[in-house]
Amino acid sequence: MDKILSVARNDLQVTFRDRSVWLQLVIIPLVIIFFIGLANGGFGGDGGSPHLLLDVFDQDGSALSTELLANLKAANPNLVLCPADNDADDVCRLDDAELTDTLAQERVTGGVTSAMLVIPAGFGEQARAGQPASLIYRSQNQIGETGPVLQALQAEVQRLGGAMIAARVGVDVFENSGLMGASFADENDRAAFDRQLYETARAIWAELPPAVTFNESAAQEGRQPSGFSQSVPGIGTMYVMSTVLIGSLILLQERKQWTFQRILTMPVAPGQIVAGKMLARFVMGMIQYSVAFGFGLILGVYFGDSPLALLLVMVAFTLCSTAFALLLATIVKTEMQAASMLNLVVLIAAPLGGAWWPLEIVPQWMQAVGQLSPVAWAMNGFRSVIFHGGGVESVIPSVLVMLGVTAGVFLLAVSRLKYE
Amino acid sequence: MHNGHKHALVEVRGLKKTFKRKDGTVVEAVKGIDLDIYRGEVFSLLGPNGAGKSTTISMLSGLLTPTEGEATIGGHSITRQPLEAKKLLGVVPQEIALYPTLSARQNLEFFGRMYGLSGSELSKSVDEVLDFIDLRDRHKDRIDTFSGGMKRRVNIGVGLLHKPQLVYMDEPTVGVDPQSRRRILDTVIRLKEERKMTVLYTTHLMEESQELSNRVGIIDYGQIIALGTVGELIQKVGEEDRLIFSVGEQQISDAVLERFRTEVPGITKATYAASEFTPVAGMEESAELVVEKRSTGTMRVARSGQVLDGEITVHAKRGRKALPELLRVADEMGVDILSVEVREPDLEAVFLHLTGRALRE
Ligand SMILES: Nc1ncnc2c1ncn2[C@@H]1O[C@H](COP(=O)(O)OP(=O)(O)OP(=O)(O)O)[C@@H](O)[C@H]1O
Ligand SMILES: [Mg+2]
Repeated sequence: MDKILSVARNDLQVTFRDRSVWLQLVIIPLVIIFFIGLANGGFGGDGGSPHLLLDVFDQDGSALSTELLANLKAANPNLVLCPADNDADDVCRLDDAELTDTLAQERVTGGVTSAMLVIPAGFGEQARAGQPASLIYRSQNQIGETGPVLQALQAEVQRLGGAMIAARVGVDVFENSGLMGASFADENDRAAFDRQLYETARAIWAELPPAVTFNESAAQEGRQPSGFSQSVPGIGTMYVMSTVLIGSLILLQERKQWTFQRILTMPVAPGQIVAGKMLARFVMGMIQYSVAFGFGLILGVYFGDSPLALLLVMVAFTLCSTAFALLLATIVKTEMQAASMLNLVVLIAAPLGGAWWPLEIVPQWMQAVGQLSPVAWAMNGFRSVIFHGGGVESVIPSVLVMLGVTAGVFLLAVSRLKYE
Repeated sequence: MHNGHKHALVEVRGLKKTFKRKDGTVVEAVKGIDLDIYRGEVFSLLGPNGAGKSTTISMLSGLLTPTEGEATIGGHSITRQPLEAKKLLGVVPQEIALYPTLSARQNLEFFGRMYGLSGSELSKSVDEVLDFIDLRDRHKDRIDTFSGGMKRRVNIGVGLLHKPQLVYMDEPTVGVDPQSRRRILDTVIRLKEERKMTVLYTTHLMEESQELSNRVGIIDYGQIIALGTVGELIQKVGEEDRLIFSVGEQQISDAVLERFRTEVPGITKATYAASEFTPVAGMEESAELVVEKRSTGTMRVARSGQVLDGEITVHAKRGRKALPELLRVADEMGVDILSVEVREPDLEAVFLHLTGRALRE
C-alpha cells in the first residue's frame, strides 16, 4: 500500500513539475466553461428552454379562475400560460395551430409544455359555495413529485382557501372516466374518485417514462439553473476525461525514459505500480472536477440540492475514465499515437455525450447514439440533480452503469497488460 | 584469482531470449548462457554492440522473462520468487532511468521508497548515496540541469540505495568524458573494496573489463565465447607479446624483417606497415607537436608535417627479452628506431583471436 501511494505521489509530483499542467487543469477549462456557459444561456434562464409553458383551458371564465391564473403567473414569473400569453415569436410553440385537449395532451407528453391545466366550468361557483371543486392538472411528473408549475398551482390553490380543492389537484383522466368537471355526491364517491385517479395515473405514468423534459424545480430561494449549470459539469467532465486519459501518455513516457522498467527491477509488484499510476490519475480527475465546480460556485451557479449525488457521479466518471486510460495505454505504442487517440476520443465522446450542450436539443437518434458515450452517463447524473432536482437515488442508475463499465474495461485492460 | 571454492550469488543456467519482430523475423538475442557470479567479485560481461549484454541483464533483473533457462539470485529464482530476488539486487540500467524534472534527492527518495525504505532510514540512505556519488551540494537541482557524467552518477546511486549485496551496471560509462569515466570506474572499485559488493558489469571496452574484473565473460552474438580471469583468457591466445617499433619516414626492406625472424630467438612474426600521418587540419605547416591518440588509448606525440608513420610489429614469446637482439639487428641494418612499445596480450587480442574481429567497430 505504501508503495502504491509512493507511486501515485511521484506521478503527481512529476505532473505538477510541468507548469503547463495549470493550462490543462485550470486555465483552458475555465475559459471554455465560461464561454460555453454564456452560449447556453449564461446566468439567466436554463440550459434547455427558457420558459415554463402551461396550456390552460379556462372553461369556467369566472372572476375566481381569472384571479387564479393571474396569481399563478405571479408565483412563478417563468410561467407562460398558453395560448393566452402567446406572442409574435410563438413562445407557446403552437405554430398557429388551435389548442385542443388532444393537442395539449400531446404537448405534455411530447415535452413541449410542462403541464396542462383545465379549469372546469362551474369551478368558481362551486368553490365560492364551499362545495368540492376540481382542477384538472396533467404533467409528466411522477406522482408525488412536484414540478414548479404544480408547486405554483398548489400554492395558489391553497391561497384561495380551498384545502379541499388542493386535494383535487390531480391528473387528467377524462379519456376513460368522463369525470371531467364532475363533482361528488358523497364522501364515498370522492374517495373512490381519488383511488381511481391515483390508479389511472399510475397506469398512465407506467407508459410514459420520466421524460427528458425541463422540470425546473427552482423558484425556491430564487435559485435557478443557468447556462453554467450545463457548462460546468459538461466541460468539467470533458476535461476530467482528457486529464485522466493523459495517464496513458505518461505511462509511455515512463517506458521511454526507462523509469518504468527501473521500478520493475525493484521489489515492487507490477500491480502496485499500475494501481499507483491509476490512483494518481483518479486524483487528477477529481482535482479537475473540483476546479470546474469550484469555479461554478464562485460564479454563484446553481447545482441542485444534493452535493453527495454530484460527488457520486464525479467519482464514478473519474473511475471510469481511469479504467479507459489504462486500456488506452495497452493499445497505443507511441506518444504521438496516444496524443491523437486521446484527442479523437475526447472530441467525439464529449459533444456526443452532451458535454457541450444539453442532449435534449439534439435529434432523437443522436440522443440515442450519445448514450454510448460515457460522458452521457455522467451528464444524465448531473442533470438529474441540477435540472430535475433529484437526489442521490436519481443518480444511482448512471453511477451503476459507470461502475459496471469501469469494472469491465479495467479487467480488459489488465488482461492486455504486458510488462516486457 | 580462483573462485572455485566460493559460493555463487548468481547462478545462470541455459538462459535464452528470443524476440519476435513485427515483420515475423526472430532475433535470438541471447542463445543459452551459463554463468556463476561469486560473492564479492566483479564479473564483467565484455562484448560488442548488440552482443546481448543488456538483454541478459534485463533477464537477470526480472525485466524480461527468459524464453528458456533459469537464473537465481541468492537462491531465489528471478522468475518464481522475483520479490525476494530483487531485494538483494540493485540495478543500474544502461539508460539514464531518472525523472528529468525532479531533483536528484526527489529521484533518490522515490526509488528508495520503491526499495522499501521509509522515514529516517530513507533520508539517511539518500544522504549517504549523495555523499558516495559526490553530489551532496547539487541534491536540490533538477536532473535535467546535470551534465552527462552527473546524471550517470545519480543513475548509479539509485541502484545503491538499499545497500544491496549485488549490483548490475550496464555500460555505466557510455557517453561520458574521460574524467567522469575514471570517477565511475573508481566507484566500482570502491564498491568492491569498501563495501564488499558483488558487481556484474557490462562493457564493450576491454580496458574497463581488464582493470575492474576478477573474471570476465566475453559475449558475442548472444553466447559466452570465453570465460575466466583476465590471465586465463590471455593464455588462450598463446601469450604473445607484440613489440611495436616506430621507424618514422624510413622505408623498411623485407630483408630487415627476415633477419628479425631468423636471427632473434622467440620471434614468430614480423610485419611492417606505414601510414600517412594526417596532422590536425590547419596545423600542417606548424612545428608544434601533435598528440595522436591510439586505438589502445595510449597517447603518442608526433611532429606535425611528418607524412610517413612506419611501424614494425614483431610478435614474440617474451618481448622484453628479445628487445636487445632486435635493436642490435636494426642498428646493423641502419634502421633508426624512434620508439619502442611492448604490448602485452590483452582482451582485445583475445577477442580478435576468438572472432577474427576487433571489439570496437
Ligand atoms: N525488444 C527487442 N526486440 C527485438 N530485438 C531486440 C530487442 N531488444 C534487443 N534486441 C536485439 O537483441 C540483440 C541484443 O541486444 P542488446 O541490447 O542486449 O545488446 P547489447 O549487448 O546490450 O548492446 P549495446 O552495447 O549496444 O548496449 C540486438 O540485436 C538487438 O537488436
Ligand atoms: Mg546494452
